[in-house]
Amino acid sequence: MAYKMRIAMTALAVLSVAYPALADDDKIVVGFATAESGFMEAYDKPAQEAAMIRIQEINAAGGLLGKQIEVVKADTKSDRAEGAKAGLSVLDGGADLVVVSCDYDFGSPAALAAEDAGQVSFFLCAESIKAGIQGVGPHSFSASVLAPVQGATMAEWAFKEKGAKDFYRLLDTWTVYNKGICDGFDWMMPKLEAQGAKLVGEDTFKNEDASIAAQITRIKSLPKEPDAIMLCTMMPGAVSAIKQLRAAGINSMILNGSGVDGSYWLSAVPDLSNFFVPVQGSIYGDDPSVDVNKFNATYKEKTGADPSSQYVYPGYVMIDVWAKAVERAGTTKADAVVAELEKMKDEPTLFGTRTFTPELHHQNKARYLIVETKAGKPGVVGNWTISEPVPMEALLK
Amino acid sequence: MLQILFDALSLGSLYALGALGIALIFGVMRLVNFAHGDVIAFCVFALLWPSTDAMAIVFAGQLPWYLLVPFVLLCGAGLSVLCEIVVFRRFRKANPATMMITSFALGFVIRYFLLMLYSSRPKSISLLPTLSQPVEIFGARLPLLQLITIIATMAILIGLTLFLRQTRFGLEMRAAAENFSMARMLGVRANRVIMGAFALSGALAGAIALIFGSQTGTADIQMGASIMLMAFIATVIGGLGSLGGAVLAGFLLGAASVVMQVMLPVDARPFRDAFVYGAVILVLLFRPQGLIAARGTKERV
Repeated sequence: MAYKMRIAMTALAVLSVAYPALADDDKIVVGFATAESGFMEAYDKPAQEAAMIRIQEINAAGGLLGKQIEVVKADTKSDRAEGAKAGLSVLDGGADLVVVSCDYDFGSPAALAAEDAGQVSFFLCAESIKAGIQGVGPHSFSASVLAPVQGATMAEWAFKEKGAKDFYRLLDTWTVYNKGICDGFDWMMPKLEAQGAKLVGEDTFKNEDASIAAQITRIKSLPKEPDAIMLCTMMPGAVSAIKQLRAAGINSMILNGSGVDGSYWLSAVPDLSNFFVPVQGSIYGDDPSVDVNKFNATYKEKTGADPSSQYVYPGYVMIDVWAKAVERAGTTKADAVVAELEKMKDEPTLFGTRTFTPELHHQNKARYLIVETKAGKPGVVGNWTISEPVPMEALLK
Repeated sequence: MLQILFDALSLGSLYALGALGIALIFGVMRLVNFAHGDVIAFCVFALLWPSTDAMAIVFAGQLPWYLLVPFVLLCGAGLSVLCEIVVFRRFRKANPATMMITSFALGFVIRYFLLMLYSSRPKSISLLPTLSQPVEIFGARLPLLQLITIIATMAILIGLTLFLRQTRFGLEMRAAAENFSMARMLGVRANRVIMGAFALSGALAGAIALIFGSQTGTADIQMGASIMLMAFIATVIGGLGSLGGAVLAGFLLGAASVVMQVMLPVDARPFRDAFVYGAVILVLLFRPQGLIAARGTKERV
């Protein structure tokens, strides 16, 4: 009996391999292989909510190619091995687009599964160049902007708009994202030095360091407090570093990557001032675009809370550009969609423009809004687009 | 120079307090309590109302400092004693490796409990904000918190020494640390001593949580891990089970870390910890029994 059973099971297994889920012709499927539990959930969920908002908008407007978009989900449980399984699981569900975790390390297993199946994958908000052609393959994209662009933007903006001359570079060596911000800063700095800026010192720390007192002592022993400190770090160490810098009486401008956007942590450093963050859109209700503020209201209506940081927005951008490419290609076939995506040059979206090329499925130049925190209150004070795109050498450093 | 001394002392204080918490329990139970770091994290989270929102809802953290400090210490002590009663008591006869694995498991339980209640997003909390001001002392400008950390650590160490030397309970604890079965035969009640050790160790975790929380302004479910690692290394260099050794090694580790950060050229600085651990290996090569070997752990022939 058991033997027969086994034969039957094997036969079934063979059949199911031989006939993979046939693409259903009257619907389009978006598969989310993202974290619904564990560490990454807090980072994936907000961007995914934003993606769902765009999907609902498209469906309400009659769908894509006249078909409704359906959603399948699989939980990566914030685990890389589970990530690969989740990728396969949404592909089995017939996904035409595989959406993967925000972070390259956590998202790449599912993205690679999609690449193997020849399907388009999109990282929700990864900012490493590896989240795309370089790390996954020719069908992979990221919806956010590269980290080096953030460092370069802040350096050029501080020099040109705020008259900052003496820069100090403080790098948290924990993640590739942090290094990326400083890589962009390093690429921009020689250009600014030619115009009179100066790098007066640099130092490193580790995100989990209980204290950065030694690093602070080094800054304080400079003959003059630097005009600006480029702080390449992310949560949770960022809060600790900022708090300690200010507690030691260092009042220089602090320049950051987008990773520290949000007001949720500001209570830890009461009355923080002279603090600057680049963002793709403002969560503070003062975005120059009416549509962004409208989106924020929709987001609040759907989820019960305001966006907690700018990392909500790439989720919306992702569905937006992908749907446009599908519309233009007239099909969800991966190669056709990729070709249409690669034709996009300064494609307008709610949160700035997007450009994809056959070499780069990511943004090496972008308009950033600059948010200044003044006496504990963040608000948009300007915007900046770097004078030239960050070149490939600096991105691959 | 003076500034560097203060930096080293304040970082060393954190490590010393952590090492002491581990050494205390190791002394009476031969248990390396890897859940210690998660007790620290728990103490910080105890100040927040459970919620998975990005914005932290500060609850007990709003208490005035004279209530806040005892509250956190009690939290730590309470959780630690609870761990003893619920878990470690059942493993008292097990071999040290089993107990160590148990403590790992327990640490995970605490961490995932926090993950469930508060999510993995680090929460921000302004703890004792008046301490985040710079003060000037002997020409060195340092955050008030740094000074308080050093003073509080000294006070705790002196208090603990007095407690261990002058009180009956302290005597029992030292006796138990030296030779547990002998102490029991002479009328030391094992449960009381072990629970006392856990309570003290937990309260020390609470003290670290307070300092760490006010220094970083962050509550993160993984925040205990790095301190726990350093503290564990300190207890090993200090001589497992030796309280004095643990404290000394804690301060040495803090000093080594700060000095490396100051001395290393900028390209080598990302590898600071590798140099620190290298120094640790050197120390252990020359003193495998630790700087101050505990009498109870020597092999008897």
